[in-house]
Amino acid sequence: MNGRSPILQLHNLTKTFGSFTAVKGISLDISEGEFFTIVGPSGSGKTTLLRMLTGMESATSGDILLRGARINDLPANKRPTCMVFQSLALFPHRTVGQNIEFSQKIKGVEPAKRKARALQLMAQLRLPENYYDKSVTKCSGGERQRVALARALAYDPDILFFDEPLSAIDYKLRKTLEKELKDIHRETGKTFIYITHSLEEAMVMSDRIGVMRSGQLVQVGSPQQIYSSPGTKFVSEFIGDVNVIGVRATATTGVHAAEFGVDFVTQPVPAGFGEGHLVVRPESLRFLGSRSEAQNCLEGRVYNEYVLGSRIQYQVRVGEHVFIVEKLRQQAFAGSLDDQVLIGWDAKDSILVTD
Amino acid sequence: MTTLGKIFGPGTRHAVPLIVFLLIGFAAPLLAVIGFSFIPARTFELWQSWSLDNYIEIFNSTSYLSFLWSLGLAAITVLILAIICYPIAYGLARVFGKYSTLVTLLFTIPLFVSENVRLYGWVLFFIKNGVLLGTLKAWFGIEPDSWLFTSGIIVFGMVYVYLPFMLFPMTLGVSMVPDQTRDAAFDLGATRWQVFKEVELPLSMPGIMIGFLLSFVLAVGAIAEAKVLGGQQIIPISHDIEIAFTYAQNWPLGAALAVLLMLVVGTLVLFVLRRFDLDAILGRR
Amino acid sequence: MDGLTPRWRTSLIWAWTAVIVVFMYLPGLCLLLASLTSSRYFVFPINKWGVAWWEKTFSSLEIHQLFKTSITIALCVTVIAVVIALFGALAFARYDWKGRSIYQKIVLLPIFFPQSVLGLALLLWFNALGLTMSWQTAVFAHLVWIIPVCTLVISIQVYSFDPALEEAAFDLGATRWQVFKEVTLPVLFPGIFSGALFAFLLSWGNFPLSLYTTGADTTIPEYLYAKMVAGYTPGVPVLGTVSTVGAAALLLIGYGLILILRRRRASAPSDT
Repeated sequence: MNGRSPILQLHNLTKTFGSFTAVKGISLDISEGEFFTIVGPSGSGKTTLLRMLTGMESATSGDILLRGARINDLPANKRPTCMVFQSLALFPHRTVGQNIEFSQKIKGVEPAKRKARALQLMAQLRLPENYYDKSVTKCSGGERQRVALARALAYDPDILFFDEPLSAIDYKLRKTLEKELKDIHRETGKTFIYITHSLEEAMVMSDRIGVMRSGQLVQVGSPQQIYSSPGTKFVSEFIGDVNVIGVRATATTGVHAAEFGVDFVTQPVPAGFGEGHLVVRPESLRFLGSRSEAQNCLEGRVYNEYVLGSRIQYQVRVGEHVFIVEKLRQQAFAGSLDDQVLIGWDAKDSILVTD
Repeated sequence: MTTLGKIFGPGTRHAVPLIVFLLIGFAAPLLAVIGFSFIPARTFELWQSWSLDNYIEIFNSTSYLSFLWSLGLAAITVLILAIICYPIAYGLARVFGKYSTLVTLLFTIPLFVSENVRLYGWVLFFIKNGVLLGTLKAWFGIEPDSWLFTSGIIVFGMVYVYLPFMLFPMTLGVSMVPDQTRDAAFDLGATRWQVFKEVELPLSMPGIMIGFLLSFVLAVGAIAEAKVLGGQQIIPISHDIEIAFTYAQNWPLGAALAVLLMLVVGTLVLFVLRRFDLDAILGRR
Repeated sequence: MDGLTPRWRTSLIWAWTAVIVVFMYLPGLCLLLASLTSSRYFVFPINKWGVAWWEKTFSSLEIHQLFKTSITIALCVTVIAVVIALFGALAFARYDWKGRSIYQKIVLLPIFFPQSVLGLALLLWFNALGLTMSWQTAVFAHLVWIIPVCTLVISIQVYSFDPALEEAAFDLGATRWQVFKEVTLPVLFPGIFSGALFAFLLSWGNFPLSLYTTGADTTIPEYLYAKMVAGYTPGVPVLGTVSTVGAAALLLIGYGLILILRRRRASAPSDT
């Protein structure tokens, strides 16, 4: 990845609507052939950012460079990029084939040629050949996804953008399509830029992830980096269920949690870390036989359990503080609800983050 | 009620009052007109020997001219309305945002004032020494001829009166085009014109067709414009019908003319409406 | 705005709309100007302004009688139209039933019908039934055209009505009538109110149907037409202005009430 040249560069990109700043000075390089995902909650500015990149919204300030050339003022229909929309935006009055061929018809490609291309894409995306004359309104959710992707690929764009196209799809199909999309990315070798509010979805597909909050990129890194060392409480909570404890640094590898009146052993405390949060993943927590079995320990009461397929989560209450402990089914907790338990974790699983 | 409920579903039951009313108030009068069109001229009794004499008389008279005038003026009106209304419909659906309710309201208010009254306002505007010519005379000293009592002014009046009937269905049509569909076409390389031709126009067609139909049908039946602004220079078909009913006291002839008008209008309405799903246009989820 | 509508085009659309709005109201303005003269005939520019004709018109007993007739007809039309149209709209948009698609088109037919011909057809029909034309027959005639319009207006509200609300109330032990009174009616109220407003105003301004079906009674549009054709006085523009401004005021007040209602609902959902 590092050896490749950047295809898209953003310099201090900003968008304001009146007094509201939707995107605040984003700078970012995206490499040729990369699968880059922008993750953020609704209202974080990710859609506005994407619309600027596609040319459907103009930037207030900053630059967008495509292979080194500034494209800020190029309208969407002149940019060699293409987007798969959240609603898919298939043309309901056209057949599957006509939808896929749309961009080529616009360019004036002769019918036989564009049909061949459409059929080739349909085969690649596992759409049956007889769907060519089928109305898109009669296709199922998954088929419509594939038609939308085929239509975008037929444009032969340098960069393919995705605006949460999977958000309206049920869980099982979504999981399949995520993998399919990653396969397509591999097969085509094109640059994919994807936005979603689901970090889980981002993790499955991406080479790199950028987390957005209030119009800014708060962290950019590989899925592994984001998962193992989230920079802030926001990023760590975005990943899913985590246990967060307010702490104050007291030593080079130690913090004090005022809430419980105890000290915890952690990874080396970063320089300049004063007050912050200690993050412990549910799967890092375990039930202890005695206090000596882990470096950090708390005593609580099992309040409830939730079966999540292969895993089981337990809600353990320490005073008013709710902890989530996650176990594989084979290692399920042997006791019953309302039992007093010891839960603990080690220094290596203590992630320190700032606000 | 329970036995009725077993035979008919709730939908049918709710429709009953309206259907019964339309049978008595709409279907029956039209049947009466059809019946009257077959009785001898200048009689007023429905139950007598029926004949086709009235229709034969129409085909031997100049009434077809009135028909042609009505159809022609209506067609021109519809075309002008389409051009005038599309930008406004586009604005109402996509540009005006929170002001679109206000703009809609502004176009609705005139609907509730009798068209005669509004057309008379135009008479005051165009008449000699009226608002337009009076101003021209007082300020510039020029005295052009009044445009009143020409066929052009009749079209002008019809455009004025039927504008909302084109505008509102058209707005519904334009707002049926999803934003992202237009963006997608643009993103796929289409020019502004191609987006319009390939996506916006076909997708807003149902609303536009209903606007065409509504304004055309109403314009074919128009009478007030020719009477008030046109000074009876041109006699549209509705006026012919009215003359037969009033001055000529020949109800059967008027009824026969009305039947012909009903045939034209009815065929057109059924032909166009049959092709559209009203639920999609009126906004069912 | 979006990338497809550049600012100059937006401005052009606004400007064009403004021009057409002015066009829509120009005749109303002419009527107003013509009513503010104190001379017998209309000559522009007006040299003698005055409100004499307004006073004369408002003190005329004949005009009072016209108002009474017009309002009576409009009120009767409103009440009957709303009741029938409410059920008609539920059949139009709420329930799925076998004949619905045809029913929807039949309901639209009277709207798509030339009113002058409809008026004559009704005259024939009433005559065949041996009825004498009066304001009552006019009410019926108005209804033929106004009930379908009213049905359409209420239907638009019904389309956004969630049938699960009725089912929930039913499930909570309400009777059919209680469901209707406590759930259906209040939820659909804005639509019903707009329907009533439309019914009243359309009846108030109707001319072609009234012309043939009022018999000896006269409504304001009929009177105005008679005066326009023969016997113009500045009383004509006075009445014309009154009916224009009256319609506008009624509509704006009605619209304001709907806005207030909606806002109150949004802020206090539990309050009914």
